Amino acid sequence: MAKFLQLAASRAFTTSLQRLRNVFTVSDSETFMEKVLNNDVPVIVNFHAEWCDPCKLLTPKLEELVVPLPGIDLAIIDVESCPELVQAFEVKAVPAVIAVRSGLVVDKFIGLVDAQNIEDFIKKLSKQMQTNAT
Amino acid sequence: MSVLKICTKSFAASLGRQSERSLKKIYRISSSFRTFSTEGKLEYDLVVIGGGSGGLACAKEAVAQGARVAVLDYVQPSPRSTKWGLGGTCVNVGCIPKKLMHHASLLGEAIEDARSFGWRIPGNAEIDWLAMRDAVQDHIKSVNWVTRVSLRDNKIEYVNGRGHLADANTVVATLHNKKEVLLKTKNVVVAVGARPKYSTAIGAQELGISSDDIFSLEKPPGKTLVVGGGYIGLECAGFLNGFGYPSTVMLRSVPLRGFDQQMASMVVNEMEGRGVNFICKCVPESLSKTLDGRILVKWNTTPGASGGSGQGEDVFDTVLFAVGRKAVTDSLALDKAGVETHRETGKIFTTNEQTNVPNIFAVGDVLHRKPELTPVAVQAGRLLARRMFGNDKTLMDYDNVATTVFTPLEYGFVGLSEEESEKRHGPENLEVYHAFYKPTEFSIPQKDMSNCYIKVICLRKEPRTVLGMHFVGPNAGEVIQGFSAAMKCRITMEQLLDTIGIHPTVAEEFTRLTITKRSGMDPNPQACCS
Repeated sequence: MAKFLQLAASRAFTTSLQRLRNVFTVSDSETFMEKVLNNDVPVIVNFHAEWCDPCKLLTPKLEELVVPLPGIDLAIIDVESCPELVQAFEVKAVPAVIAVRSGLVVDKFIGLVDAQNIEDFIKKLSKQMQTNAT
Repeated sequence: MSVLKICTKSFAASLGRQSERSLKKIYRISSSFRTFSTEGKLEYDLVVIGGGSGGLACAKEAVAQGARVAVLDYVQPSPRSTKWGLGGTCVNVGCIPKKLMHHASLLGEAIEDARSFGWRIPGNAEIDWLAMRDAVQDHIKSVNWVTRVSLRDNKIEYVNGRGHLADANTVVATLHNKKEVLLKTKNVVVAVGARPKYSTAIGAQELGISSDDIFSLEKPPGKTLVVGGGYIGLECAGFLNGFGYPSTVMLRSVPLRGFDQQMASMVVNEMEGRGVNFICKCVPESLSKTLDGRILVKWNTTPGASGGSGQGEDVFDTVLFAVGRKAVTDSLALDKAGVETHRETGKIFTTNEQTNVPNIFAVGDVLHRKPELTPVAVQAGRLLARRMFGNDKTLMDYDNVATTVFTPLEYGFVGLSEEESEKRHGPENLEVYHAFYKPTEFSIPQKDMSNCYIKVICLRKEPRTVLGMHFVGPNAGEVIQGFSAAMKCRITMEQLLDTIGIHPTVAEEFTRLTITKRSGMDPNPQACCS
């Protein structure tokens, strides 16, 4: 039990540190413009809600997978705080995830998908980035 | 997996354009949001005041018929400061959370029953109030959100502000920041519903709660007194008792006043058998705080009543007032347009949902002498919009509306009560079929079946049209729904008895009725399949 607590505590600490690097929340269109559409690196945008159980499983999983990747950012948007963005991207159900690169939406999925699908989604985004770089 | 593929496929088709459009959309939406929140005068075909069951249904149908529509919704916090989102009473503090909590309560019972069917269940099942409440509230919030999205999809302008009339063609919405938005409109639909009343007892508003608060209560309710014997009071006491919180119901007069009283007494008997305490023919006089933070309630016999439980006092953790609901028309300034309302109840007088002012209409709980039910408000709202903006002339039929009281043993019915049938037709012109029955699943766990009872009232004269069908038992809502369609077709007793039942169900009992009250024969079941 003690070991579990230790592990959980260290994990939370690491995540909160790394949060400063490539995981952030967006709560208005200006921030979205600046940190997502005008970002040099691709961004995975996660539309999330506090009352949504699948979101509570998906968001941490996305964080876990994106945090160690240097070239990808993760933007988390609470649908309650940003109706304009929700409307702009026609988000009708949560969780909804879109991939943005150089201001263009290049991929998306809706609902809680399994870990393999999330990994493939992220891999596809970083592969595209690599292809462009060469 | 295939769903994911479909999503990405249809999306891939318009990738480049999509993002460009998205960018433009963000700018356009943000800017329109800004201009809307300042003072603006806009032209509408319809402004609906109230974003609940009736208001939203009316608004959506109106838009479908081509009208330009705005919906105002605003929740005045309860005396306990409880607030909620878009969707009205049903979604937030009515039908939805009620049914979920009722179901949660029955599940606790099912866990115990399961043992007798051979399930090995370690320990005793206990309710975690906060976990249950959070699960219910999360669901409500998801419905709030879907409702908002749906309004946007339907291109209905949504204003989160308190509405009142400046005149028959102008609605003023007062927003949170006190700013006012003027909406010029050809028509107005008032769908503001009602809010719980409190008793006049000293300390009622300060120390009591209502149905506005129970579904989001921040701590377990504990030992509860429910004041009021209508369906709201009985349903709340029912599920609280099922969760293990000692519950008492205080009735001013009779339970479920206006409902079939024989069926009401079955419901009360069942609740008493489950441990709910009933204090009869009494009203609370005062509520005061005890030294350990609980509530001391003192009560006395209802003025003018005789018999009953008599004077008394007791200490409770929670006191829930369910003594009736008042239409929220006071702050609407309806007089500015000359709309007539009932002096006491505040409800609006309408004929086919039209008030005395030709361009002002009303739907839902705010209507005088109409059933206060979500499906009624929804249907009335929809038909009204069709009459206003479409070519349909269909009027709302308020008769034979089925309904169910979700007490631990549920009571569902459609049509007239025995009392109302006698009043309209005279007892000599009626035949009342009745029976007690035994649900198959109740026998193994030895559940009390003494209140499982059904009753059908029909005319004695051919074609023996059925006037009312009444059912106390499990899943009453599911049982009665289909029969309301039959009632709409004016089903006769012969057609009902000619129907072959599904076995084994409880609903089939309606097809097995043979004994009438007039015969004096014993309505208790003899055997199962004979």
